[in-house]
Amino acid sequence: MTAPLPEVASRKYDLTFARWVRDNVEGGDKMNMCMQCGTCSGSCPIGPEMDNGPRKTFMMVRAGMREEVLSSSTLWNCTSCYRCTVRCPRGIKVTAIIQGLAQVAAKEGYAPKGENASFANAFWWSASTFGKTDERLVPTLYYFSAGFMEGIRKSLDNLKIAINMLKAGRMHIGMPHTIKDKKGLKAILAKAAEIEKAKG
Amino acid sequence: MTEKKTFTYYPGCSSQGSGRHLDESIRAVMPELGIGMVDIEDWNCCGASVGQIGGGPLSNLALTGRNMAQAEKQGNKDVITGCAACYLNTHGGNEKIKADEQKKADINEALGAAGLSYNGELQVHHAMEVLVNEVGMDNIADRAKANPLKGLKVAGWVGCQTVRPFAGTDSGGNYDTYEDPDFLDDITEACGAEAVAYDSKTNCCGGSVAVMKPEKTLHLMEKILNSAKQAGADVISTPCPLCQTNLEMYQDSINKKFGTDYNFPVVFPTQLMAVAFGMEAKKDAGLHRQTIRAEKLEKMAKK
Repeated sequence: MTAPLPEVASRKYDLTFARWVRDNVEGGDKMNMCMQCGTCSGSCPIGPEMDNGPRKTFMMVRAGMREEVLSSSTLWNCTSCYRCTVRCPRGIKVTAIIQGLAQVAAKEGYAPKGENASFANAFWWSASTFGKTDERLVPTLYYFSAGFMEGIRKSLDNLKIAINMLKAGRMHIGMPHTIKDKKGLKAILAKAAEIEKAKG
Repeated sequence: MTEKKTFTYYPGCSSQGSGRHLDESIRAVMPELGIGMVDIEDWNCCGASVGQIGGGPLSNLALTGRNMAQAEKQGNKDVITGCAACYLNTHGGNEKIKADEQKKADINEALGAAGLSYNGELQVHHAMEVLVNEVGMDNIADRAKANPLKGLKVAGWVGCQTVRPFAGTDSGGNYDTYEDPDFLDDITEACGAEAVAYDSKTNCCGGSVAVMKPEKTLHLMEKILNSAKQAGADVISTPCPLCQTNLEMYQDSINKKFGTDYNFPVVFPTQLMAVAFGMEAKKDAGLHRQTIRAEKLEKMAKK
């Protein structure tokens, strides 16, 4: 005779986090459509660099594993290739959700140093200060975000590339390219941040 | 040639750096095909793939809002861009503003801080979509009678964001499919060159992760180079400025890691077109900007 069935589920799922993601992350409203087929993770070009991948991440959100999701390496390795998004048989915006979760993780202080979030901060500094991406300063700032020696090492690694780009006229020496109306852009971004903050 | 349509042109940040030869060749070939372009005045960065992580979603969207407001203000003509990331963000952002009244109100409130506004009535197009939907391959082939690229074998490498996720949508002009798009090979053939069949056509090079941590993505790029070489290609053609730069500049690292000897030129389809149109190799095609020179293509140039 087999053992009797347990009377209650072995684990209760807490849907608080899943509901929060549904309401606050772009594309989150469709996450409940996920049938765990794994097309997303199977299509990811950089899947082996991710601890969980999108399929498992979605299940972890449903399971209420807030800490594990927000501290996951999955969020910092997305190349934005959108393969998962166009292949998802349920039409879920997989890329948007992973990047939306990355945003939440960065805001809540989960982002590891020297990773994508440091690059994103360097990038945003350039875009919001000059109105343009400076292809020299953004990588350099990022390299040094992981420490001085690491910065020197990575800069030297890329020296030959930089020289080639200078020779081809695809990198310039001197001040960053900027937009004319930096003041206007600053005012727009400050207002946008204020609106965003007011909404929580 | 009589003008078919005039667009507001968004060059994007790479046009002043790593992707100057994309910008130069687009500016050269588009007017030859009846496409007029006027730059967005004082355009700003689109936010690329990490802007929303660094700045937050609404601030990131405000970057697109400002560009679109400028385009509307200076003549209200639809926007065209040649950069994959600029297209992804500007088209994607523009559609978000159109679809959501609240977002549109928020963006306009932010834009108001600089005396700007945006009604949300413009469309954003990728240059490749314009070549397919507005120009047509027949017209490219017709113009390429000037100097058809006979005998040049080209591996058309589409990459990611030029087609994903918008090429098969109504707002994206339904110009191609995601898994096996035709447009790039069609352009190659319209230029009189031969499009080789190979299996990495829509593979990802690693994008910004390749810039951050190349060691994570060198194998992705090696696979693309390998399959293009196996297929007998002389040159790889890609519409994406980041793909072009990544695949070109990391070949040394790839050779070191995998014991290979790649020295494979990677060009833009608009550079092929400029040469096939009989235009200048330097001024119009920007071939001198390759860090790995496309020698066979250079020899074919008439000027």
